[in-house]
Amino acid sequence: MALAIRRSTTDIFCAAKWFTRRDCRVLSTLPEKAEEVEVSTVVKKDKVIRARGSRNPHFENRFVYPEFLPDPNPNWRNSLREKLERADMLKRRNQIDIPEFYVGSILAVTVADPHSQGKTNKFVGICIERKGCGLRAEFTLRNVVDHQGVEVRYDLYDPTIQTIQVLRLEKRLDEKLFYLRDALPEYSTFPFDMDPELLPEGTPVPLNPVQVKLKPRPWLERWERQELKGVANIEEHLREKDRVRRELRATPWEKYDLMKQYRKTIPMEEQNDIWAEVNSQLQQLHMTRKKMSRKRTFSTPKTQLG
Amino acid sequence: MATCNMNILLNTLKKLRIDHTIMRSFQKPRFRPPYWYIPKERAQTEEFLTQDNKHFLDEVVQDRKLNQALVQSPLASVETNQTAQWNPHTRRVGLIARKIGNYPLWTKDGKKVQTTLLQVVDNHVVKYVPPEEFNPMKKSSEIVTSNIKRKLGCILVGSETVDPSTVTKDYCGIFNNVGILPKKHLFRFMVSPESYLPPGTPLSATHFRVGDHIDIRAKTMDRGFQGVMKRWGFKGMPASHGVTKTHRRPGNIGAGGQKARVWPGTKMPGHMGNRWRILRGVKILRINTKHNVIWTLGVAIPGETGAMCYLFDTILPEKKHNTQPPFPTQPLAEDVPLEYFDDSVHAFDQQSISFEES
Repeated sequence: MALAIRRSTTDIFCAAKWFTRRDCRVLSTLPEKAEEVEVSTVVKKDKVIRARGSRNPHFENRFVYPEFLPDPNPNWRNSLREKLERADMLKRRNQIDIPEFYVGSILAVTVADPHSQGKTNKFVGICIERKGCGLRAEFTLRNVVDHQGVEVRYDLYDPTIQTIQVLRLEKRLDEKLFYLRDALPEYSTFPFDMDPELLPEGTPVPLNPVQVKLKPRPWLERWERQELKGVANIEEHLREKDRVRRELRATPWEKYDLMKQYRKTIPMEEQNDIWAEVNSQLQQLHMTRKKMSRKRTFSTPKTQLG
Repeated sequence: MATCNMNILLNTLKKLRIDHTIMRSFQKPRFRPPYWYIPKERAQTEEFLTQDNKHFLDEVVQDRKLNQALVQSPLASVETNQTAQWNPHTRRVGLIARKIGNYPLWTKDGKKVQTTLLQVVDNHVVKYVPPEEFNPMKKSSEIVTSNIKRKLGCILVGSETVDPSTVTKDYCGIFNNVGILPKKHLFRFMVSPESYLPPGTPLSATHFRVGDHIDIRAKTMDRGFQGVMKRWGFKGMPASHGVTKTHRRPGNIGAGGQKARVWPGTKMPGHMGNRWRILRGVKILRINTKHNVIWTLGVAIPGETGAMCYLFDTILPEKKHNTQPPFPTQPLAEDVPLEYFDDSVHAFDQQSISFEES
């Protein structure tokens, strides 16, 4: 009897869901229209962005050098401080090659360390997070050493950093890879003697579409609620309760919240000023570094032959 | 006729009675603004100016700003004939600065330190009041006694030039005899008479040196009416285990028995922040001479970004000046380095830090 009731209630629940959805569609008709409009606007936006990109040569800089854009919180902003900070960043970039890298790239970082043997310390790992603006910019590397997960956080402009080398330049499906902490260890294991993989010039940064497998629970975070694209087997480990909670906690309207997006970003006009101030120096640095790297690539085959 | 009038007068005087008297108890004198204070804000009214006239007024202001920049510091002529001697007891003038943010610097041993940036925006000496005439209106007994021992004068310093048409005429009058444009912020510094500065002297960030310690006075962030946990750091009460409605409350505020009352000074909820506070002994790590910016160690300088700060030589005995600082102030010079760094600070255009094997 109890079973029958349960079944019936679930059926009713499902039916009700279906009905309500239908009803909403019929009653409002707004979403359908809105969707149509959106499609057109998206296309337009793309065009606009492309047009802007063609006009504005340093539009892509915001992905390559994200730390040059200040924190958008208006309470902390000051044009002079930002200018001084940028000048300091450029001075540091003149001293050391800070290459282009993204979350998901594999880096090797050498740091001066008074306590280690030989006074330097090298760490290789996958970049799982990149955050902070200006001189506070930082990134986190993760690796598994002797079956033990290790994460090291580095300041990007720390003068104790001797070299930063990109071993494999690629992007992943997500903006933060914290789920590697709960994934199988092979996804974050990288040998310390890895060779750098050189990309042919002019190729776009490749996107690695690998989907990692999570270990069974307990987890460090509720990964199911974060809409992760780079996780393969998340549904296996979920209970019915978790799915219901995920539905309840979902905030699907946030991607339409234009004000929220605006508050998170620096407006185009201000970005133009910033890149105009910085771009020429950054380009110069990039060109000189390119020449240096070419020289290095010519030297490597000789050693291999030998 | 005259007697008649006198009679009327006497009658009226008889009718006069004193039936309502006000007895005033002694009250402490309230704070009154100093005598040179003149209201600054002006009611903004529609002037009905034509566009041309507006442009003309703007041009005039721009010209006057340029002239102000070109005027030579009066210190240049004074210093040649008169050299005042500095001793550890003299008090120099301070600076008015604006807090413009924080960012990290690194020391030469590779340690990251947080710094606060203070910008000194066109500070000028507006007025000097010698000790004989200087008579501050609000004084507590301590100041009176110390003044008898060591008389101090007062230097009025202004910062941040404003458009003269936005302030009152009387307020502009303070600056007109000096020959500078009116300033947004005024502050008086108590100084010993040796460190006299002629009105019109520009002050810059090089008034202090790198490695010096300063006291910074500013208003703390206004946090409004706050409970006891945020204001005094009380622990509150547990979240569960049968606790109802008393998670963030102070609990007991006094004992019973003989002293059945709340003792004065008990920590209770109330308004938090927006108070004048002085942070003493803050070290200067770096100075930019072009933009007049001072990097100070630490992030505890009161106020939010954009707050006004007042900088003085520190009074902490351990951190006072050992050698003579720029006295009475550093004269403006053309060929100064762009930036001064403290010995402990790593400049970003130096090579990366590496440690040698010992």
